[in-house]
Amino acid sequence: MLFINRSLCSLLISKYALFLIIVFFLSVSAVSAQQDVSCYHCHTQVVTQFRNNVHYQMGFNCADCHGGKEEPNASVISADVMSGNFIGKPSRENITGICSKCHVQEAKDYKQSIHWEQIQKGHPEAATCTDCHGIHEIRAISDPKSSSNHQNSPATCAKCHANKELMSAWYYGIKTDRFDTYKESFHWKALRNGYNIVATCADCHNNHITKSHTDPTSSTYPANLPKTCGKAGCHPGVRFDAEVALGFVHDKESLHTGELVFNKTNLDPKLKTYYLGPFDLAYWIALFFKILTTGVIGVFAGMVVLDFLSRFKLQKRW
Amino acid sequence: MAKLKVLEVSDTERPKVDTTMSEVYFKRFTFNQLVEHWVMIGSFMLLVVTGMPVKFPDAWWSPVIINLVGGFEMRTQIHHAAGITMVLLGVYHVTYHLFIDKESLLERKVWPTLKDAKDFWQTILFYFGKAEHPKYGRYSWKEKFDYWGAFWGMVMLCVTGLVMMFPFVAMDYIPYAYVHLSTIVHTDEALLATLFIFIVHWWNVHYSPEVFPMSKAWLTGNLSEEQMKHEHPLEYEEVMKQMQKGEDTPPKA
Repeated sequence: MLFINRSLCSLLISKYALFLIIVFFLSVSAVSAQQDVSCYHCHTQVVTQFRNNVHYQMGFNCADCHGGKEEPNASVISADVMSGNFIGKPSRENITGICSKCHVQEAKDYKQSIHWEQIQKGHPEAATCTDCHGIHEIRAISDPKSSSNHQNSPATCAKCHANKELMSAWYYGIKTDRFDTYKESFHWKALRNGYNIVATCADCHNNHITKSHTDPTSSTYPANLPKTCGKAGCHPGVRFDAEVALGFVHDKESLHTGELVFNKTNLDPKLKTYYLGPFDLAYWIALFFKILTTGVIGVFAGMVVLDFLSRFKLQKRW
Repeated sequence: MAKLKVLEVSDTERPKVDTTMSEVYFKRFTFNQLVEHWVMIGSFMLLVVTGMPVKFPDAWWSPVIINLVGGFEMRTQIHHAAGITMVLLGVYHVTYHLFIDKESLLERKVWPTLKDAKDFWQTILFYFGKAEHPKYGRYSWKEKFDYWGAFWGMVMLCVTGLVMMFPFVAMDYIPYAYVHLSTIVHTDEALLATLFIFIVHWWNVHYSPEVFPMSKAWLTGNLSEEQMKHEHPLEYEEVMKQMQKGEDTPPKA
């Protein structure tokens, strides 16, 4: 009896085991088949990047942007994927067209921007969707690793806007010290240390409708600054005279270049006096403190050293 | 070497008065002044610790310190609280010495005099072995510089600090240029003060061989007779003269 029981048991166990193994392999193959966008076999790196993409997590695959025949369960090499409306690598001018299929409002906003205007004028190196959001590794903007995350926005813009060759390539006169001068502001100093509720590039210049500050419809056009600074969550409820708000966030240029802002800006003299002081006060006061601090500390630290050395001389002190 | 021997002899052959007298202390600071100094130390340290990471945001220690004090928002709150404490201290100090302290303003010993300039020069000569060590009265030129440096610094830091705390209120009265200047003035002045305290002031009251590990005057408010003779000989003489005049009156303690 015992013997029979045991064999029955082991038989049952082996049956269950077999069943479990089958279920396991079925599920593995089902899952891996779903993940198998056949492009992976050649474009391994790109697809690996794509797996961090917020679109991948929402169920999109290569064909949704690149066109072609959608065959999630395709075999190792599937020429069919690259058929139909397959476009391959889109040109920079066409990237917006792909994104706008879903992101209608964003694309509409972007098309008012100076970036799009420059692309239209035949400067394809101007920023398009992928320059800020990433190409295959598009993350949600709430993701701290996203290049368009609030924290990373200054570095992302600086990729181009601190690049001297790029900035002077088609339009002479775009300043490349924008990130450096932003670094002087409290906004950056706070952001740098993890305080998120401060303005970065996109907050003032707008993320999609980025316009030149000379454009009257721009958020950074002098007359529009009160509205921009006074946004809810920033400095609301503050009495903004048009004049008062018209400050330079990107000031203290002189501290970096050593040149007087006064001589460089093309402001009318009245405004110049209002914003920079009667002469370039920032420059002179910074210089004054440099001399004062070096002088006072130099003299007194020197006295400390002399005091210390005088102890070695065996002379009567008191 | 010969000089050293003389010093030793003179040390052993002290006047009898010193050894027979019980230990005498000289009042250096009133309790009021001690408390002011303690509040000053506390608020100053907090201000430096929470302020410097913003002056140097790209330094490696900047985020370390900010995380240590509890994040950027906490940093700002601590900085504001300590700043307001220091401003109140300054207001109290000025009010007290203008209206409550009965001593006539002009007779205060804290005003800089010509002797201080001479003493300054003599100190330098002394360091090079070209002169005697200057004899100080109640306050040496170093102490006066400390005091007026802190006084000037507190006024500057208070004004610019308030402008930075309420930039948009300030812009109702002054142009934008001055608001952004206040950030330069505030941080540079603070850096100067910090360096001065950590290098010069701490040398004088902490590290200097006479007082190492520290001068206890900031805790007790008293100076020993020895210290008094060395550091404020003129005041010592004056006090002793007064004592001799009225033998009955106890020493100034």
